[in-house]
Amino acid sequence: MNINKYLDVINACRFCFMCRHLSAVGNVTFKEADTPRGRALILDKVRMDNSLIANADYIKTIYDADLSAACRRHCVSHYDENSLLLAARQDIVAAGLAPPSVAALARDLQNVDFQVRGAGEILYYIDTYSQRQMQLVEAFDGIAGNVATISGGDTGKALKILGFVNEAREVAAKFAAAVSTSGARTLVTSCPASYDALKHDFPIDGVTVLHSSEFLLQRGLKAKAATTACYLDSDFLKAYNNMAAPRELLLALGYKLKQFATNDEESFSAGEGAAVYDRVNPKLTAKLCERICDLVDVERDLLITSSPYTLHVLKTFRPQLNIISIEQAACRALEA
Amino acid sequence: MLSSSKSYAYEMLLSELTWAVGEDYVQTGDSDKLGHSIDYYWVPEVWHDRGRQLTPPDFIIQPGSSQEVAAVLKIANNYSIPVTPWGGGSGSQGGALPIRGGIILDMKRMNRVLDIDTVSLSATVEVGINAQHLEWAIEKAGYSTMHFPASIACATLGGFIAHRGTGVLSTKYGKMEDMVMSLEVVTPQGEIINTLPVPRHASGPDLTQLFLGSEGTLGVVTKATIKIHPIPQSRKFHAFLFRTMHDAMLAGSRIMTSRLRPCVIRLYDEPETAKLVKRVLGIDKKGAYLVFGFDGQEKIVDLEMEEACDICSSFDHEDLGAEMGQTWWNNRYKFFYPPYMFHMPQAFGTLDTVATFANIENVYWAMKNVVEQNFPQATFIGHFSHWYEWGCMLYARFIIDNPPADANEAVALYNKIWDMAIRAAIKAGGVINEHHGVGLKLGRIMKDLYGPAFKILQDIKQTLDPNNIMNPGKMGFKG
Repeated sequence: MNINKYLDVINACRFCFMCRHLSAVGNVTFKEADTPRGRALILDKVRMDNSLIANADYIKTIYDADLSAACRRHCVSHYDENSLLLAARQDIVAAGLAPPSVAALARDLQNVDFQVRGAGEILYYIDTYSQRQMQLVEAFDGIAGNVATISGGDTGKALKILGFVNEAREVAAKFAAAVSTSGARTLVTSCPASYDALKHDFPIDGVTVLHSSEFLLQRGLKAKAATTACYLDSDFLKAYNNMAAPRELLLALGYKLKQFATNDEESFSAGEGAAVYDRVNPKLTAKLCERICDLVDVERDLLITSSPYTLHVLKTFRPQLNIISIEQAACRALEA
Repeated sequence: MLSSSKSYAYEMLLSELTWAVGEDYVQTGDSDKLGHSIDYYWVPEVWHDRGRQLTPPDFIIQPGSSQEVAAVLKIANNYSIPVTPWGGGSGSQGGALPIRGGIILDMKRMNRVLDIDTVSLSATVEVGINAQHLEWAIEKAGYSTMHFPASIACATLGGFIAHRGTGVLSTKYGKMEDMVMSLEVVTPQGEIINTLPVPRHASGPDLTQLFLGSEGTLGVVTKATIKIHPIPQSRKFHAFLFRTMHDAMLAGSRIMTSRLRPCVIRLYDEPETAKLVKRVLGIDKKGAYLVFGFDGQEKIVDLEMEEACDICSSFDHEDLGAEMGQTWWNNRYKFFYPPYMFHMPQAFGTLDTVATFANIENVYWAMKNVVEQNFPQATFIGHFSHWYEWGCMLYARFIIDNPPADANEAVALYNKIWDMAIRAAIKAGGVINEHHGVGLKLGRIMKDLYGPAFKILQDIKQTLDPNNIMNPGKMGFKG
């Protein structure tokens, strides 16, 4: 089983409670199972008795995980519970036990048709969540100029996160082939999950990957927005890649950043780390969004996110929420 | 435990509980049952580790209000179903284990900060709140709970109230019984009561103190008003190394009996200095490491710090300076993360004991001698971690690197060490214990500890909980 590669994590996490306060899903379900300890206990049982991988309740718990990686970031030894969970999902899929809704979603994610439009050194990847929020893409386009674009599906990251590793590789290869034909040397994406995929899971030879905030920061943009805003951290940019660019960009643009909620340690994830969490767990996504919205003054607070996924799910949950993408924030500051 | 989850009686009860709290808040799945079958007590951990069957609850109920707690307790009384309150599940004494099945009352959903009184400096909160979340919320308002236990990230306020928990700044800010002003409690028969709103009065015995430390055996604490404090202008630390633990103890006790007010003192014996202080803090020294800190107005902090350093300097010492004191503060929780915390396959226990300064060293040596002379396979280490005007707490630990493979044999050995060490501590003037509580682990020793006075506790339990539904099998109560 793939989980056996992470015995150190199982042994470390199964009796450890030290990061439970950061468990995004645990903080809305209040379930012991929805914490790194709870999940490590389950996978320890599975390790001892492999047949338990078929336990439907265990499978549900493994797919309920938000994968924000706040626990790994917090842990003084950085035990990698995320990778353990991805291994468990891989084992579940390999055993043919993926829940029907997950299997259907995986089939859908394999339907990709990557199209490159335009040409040039820089290629902007329009991910599936950005595609549904074209104001975000237009904002980027307005600043970056007419860069070439690629779109037509997920990079393979979502499939990998769901446990469909072989299928993910196939999709990633199609994506890489399309990028290669474009001749671009720099690939920019607004999607933190895609950034992480192209940086770590499926790198493309000769192609540099940048998150849109890094790209805009490199352009040396300066403005005097003088607007107070809360920056809502991205799971992938913060917990997976320790990236400072979004905050640095907003400060360069003159935004006055206010602490979101009570602290900078908690993930306040809406499920971004699980890539397509809203499609796997709409009910839990709504709970995660509700917790975030409860911490916001809807009348007064401006929220800025560097995640198209987060923008989409929060706007869907609470349309009156004053939340914009980092590209829109840049655009507004430059226009001011 | 119910006879069978397949019985119609089970379905009847499930329906009634679901009606009381809503279907989203009644859990019966295997994932949740597993998580509630193990707390931070070594015995269920080893049981799990060796593949043994744990005792799960039949239902996990997540109430959202005191009224819902009351409704659940009425149902449980009606059917004589055990109810075990659960906060963060991070207790080390087995206090939250559902050893007779039944209902786990998981309180984490009751997590709201209801009021912050900036005039009186108090906060009223639902006790299911995670302690770190509570501290963050209070800090956002410009104050602090000053409650910084190693379990801050995992435990709930209710858990601390249940077993009179403490944090590293206890020497100045007190233990949970000093921090709480008043409580709302749901009695075992489902009545919602409040204790008096202030902790100092002459209106009879103090009900707040009755429920503090009752570990869910006398009812369910649902709300608490706690003290909050201004964020101190300054907090400074200093560390010394003493040639012997005895000298360090004299220095520490003199700081306290001179009535200086440190927020923390911590003294590690020679073996723990050599083992854990070196491993976790990177301070590689032979002797007994003593660290202390003061906080408050900077001028006063500096004055008190100078006085405390003068006291320490009168003994055979090495001054490690402020930096090695600050290092301890910065890494104070690191001791409890893997791999620094003791872990399987090791057997380990914290022989938490408290005594007066006159007795505390005798308690230390009594336990150390008993453990080392009777169990050569065990290592004994200790530190003194919560200091008061009259004495301090001994956080002694035994560690066995290779306990028996058989779970029963391992637990039998474990219990034997506990029995001998704790009884030796009691004989030497110690009290079990200072802040971990009694739970399942130490219930059998309660009668020895209290003597005839234990009957009073037992009678109170019987009066409040005649059907013995509340956390049965804990704290030494019969039934």
